Amino acid sequence: MNDSAGGTGDPARTERAVTPTSTSASASPDERDEPSVLELADATREYDTGAGVVRALDGVDLRVDRGESLAVIGPSGSGKSTTLNLLGLLDAPTEGTVRLDGRDVTAIDDREATDLRREFVGFVFQDFYLIPTLTARENVAMPTMFQGGDRGRAAALLERVGLGDRLDHYPSELSGGQKQRVAIARSLVNEPEVVLADEPTGNLDLDTSERVLDEFDRVREQGVSVVLVTHDPLVTEYAGRAVELVDGRVADRDAGGTVE
Amino acid sequence: MSGGADGDGGDDRSRPAPASRSAGVDRETGDRALYRRFPALALAWRNLRRNRLRSLLATLGIVIGVLAVATLGVFGNVVSLSAAQTLGGIGDQVIVSPDENAGVESLGPREVQAVERAAGTRGEVVPLITGGATARSGGSRTVAQLYGTRTPRTLFEARAGELPERHRQGAIVGPEIAEALSLRVGSTVEIEGNEYRVVAVLAEPEGFSPVTPDTAVVLPPGEFREQEFSQVVIEAESGDAAETIAADVRERLNAREQRVSVFALSSVVAEIARFFGLLSAFLIGIGAVSLVVAGVSILNIMLVTTVERRGEIGVMRAVGVHREDVLRLLVVEATLLGVAGAVGGAVLSVLAVGGLWYFTPVALDVVLVPTNAAYVLGAAVFGVLVSLASGAYPAYKAAGERPVEALRG
Repeated sequence: MNDSAGGTGDPARTERAVTPTSTSASASPDERDEPSVLELADATREYDTGAGVVRALDGVDLRVDRGESLAVIGPSGSGKSTTLNLLGLLDAPTEGTVRLDGRDVTAIDDREATDLRREFVGFVFQDFYLIPTLTARENVAMPTMFQGGDRGRAAALLERVGLGDRLDHYPSELSGGQKQRVAIARSLVNEPEVVLADEPTGNLDLDTSERVLDEFDRVREQGVSVVLVTHDPLVTEYAGRAVELVDGRVADRDAGGTVE
Repeated sequence: MSGGADGDGGDDRSRPAPASRSAGVDRETGDRALYRRFPALALAWRNLRRNRLRSLLATLGIVIGVLAVATLGVFGNVVSLSAAQTLGGIGDQVIVSPDENAGVESLGPREVQAVERAAGTRGEVVPLITGGATARSGGSRTVAQLYGTRTPRTLFEARAGELPERHRQGAIVGPEIAEALSLRVGSTVEIEGNEYRVVAVLAEPEGFSPVTPDTAVVLPPGEFREQEFSQVVIEAESGDAAETIAADVRERLNAREQRVSVFALSSVVAEIARFFGLLSAFLIGIGAVSLVVAGVSILNIMLVTTVERRGEIGVMRAVGVHREDVLRLLVVEATLLGVAGAVGGAVLSVLAVGGLWYFTPVALDVVLVPTNAAYVLGAAVFGVLVSLASGAYPAYKAAGERPVEALRG
């Protein structure tokens, strides 16, 4: 994430780039060989609220490398969700660039964005967002159901998250943790390259949270990148790397201050 | 990307599970197959079942609307057809008679020929000699209306016996005469001192006709003293033809001086038909208003349900379901409401029309006409179209919303 830092001559950035933190050390070799799965370059997102323009993100650089788990943390209103929306191709930056596998996808249309989301990205939401009229298996197959839906794969994924005996249960018959595991299975049905999770443990108790996070760990072990947006310290612990956002900018956690 | 080994293992373990709950699987097989083949239809059906009462009420609106359009349409059609049947063939008939005010007493061969030319192939010309006489048989007697014609088949229908193609001998008697004198085919009737064998008995008339068969006695023209005709009836092939023929006859015979009077009811009948057409359209219009109101209720329900399911729709869009697929899903929901309502309304309207036939003196042959089926079918199709149109806007609105907005709640 700090490729360009050397050029700026900013001491804080330089220091960070050379600091052998646990994740950047393992990630560094990949960075040179292959492009990041997802990358935000100098991304700014402004909203016109009517009362004035609100800048939710302000020149954020962020890379998600293959097979890493990254926590995006920060207080409410710091731009976490906006970051996730940009990474998930749900929204486009006002300025800056979004790259998927090195390809510039900043200005693609809705149709293409939908296709790319289905092919490359898995989503997990705080409120699970399961369709109440579909069984667990059908919920998992939902992203691909208009393309023929692979129900066998859906069942296999539910087995994998420990819900092999709940295939035909409706969401109302599942507990919160089970629902979130169904949601994780759903996020994997399209064999994504990255799973984006927005407060995945926000509605879960501690034990259940741990089970869900173990699930994410297993996902990452399959080579899928995982981005967790959270303010749950437990989640941060699980993640290999954490990026803190403050007021729409990336903060330097180690220095305890803001970069730029 | 997520290792195949894991997927295989999951597959193997997942298969026995459904088999062990075969009862549940059997129960849902139909639904499953539907889901796989037509995901939008299956999903729409489940969404409608989620709020059964609401879906039922929306459907009820369409049922009432379709019922109103179909029954009012059919009733109007039945009234119009019954009227047309009662008016019978008079719209198609032209009657040419001598203008007595002008001193013309009868129609000669020249006039008959002129009328025949005017009719051409568009109508059959029947010259008639008319008169009154007393008919006797056994001890009883009655007053009869005499008609002399060579071609009785054009104007009359027989109840018993057969009408001859060329009427050369014997008498054809009307139903009232037959009853009054107890006549049957083969009996003898005496008119003006001559005895005739009855060759046929006429049927009751179905509608109005200027040549009434009730008290008629039809004889060959040679039996009359007069050799000239007292009127000529033209049975035209249609009301329009009757009007043209009437105008043509006037031109041919009344061009220089008024010699005949020409009587055609076709324009009056056309006017009556137009009135019934208007009445029918008015009734259908009233029905259509109720159907449009039902459409508004579907619009309302679809708006409410899409707002309620905003997050769900947003997540579908986020995980890669296309806008058009969401649009299709919601339009299918509205259409399902419409189809259910239309089928219900059509069935009820068939029952209502059946009731009309059962409880009123309406004849079966005006109920079982293809146009009535067209009204029922048309109302059903209209009901589905109204639902589809009502669902289109909420569907468009919901499917078009950006997933980010929808997920924000």
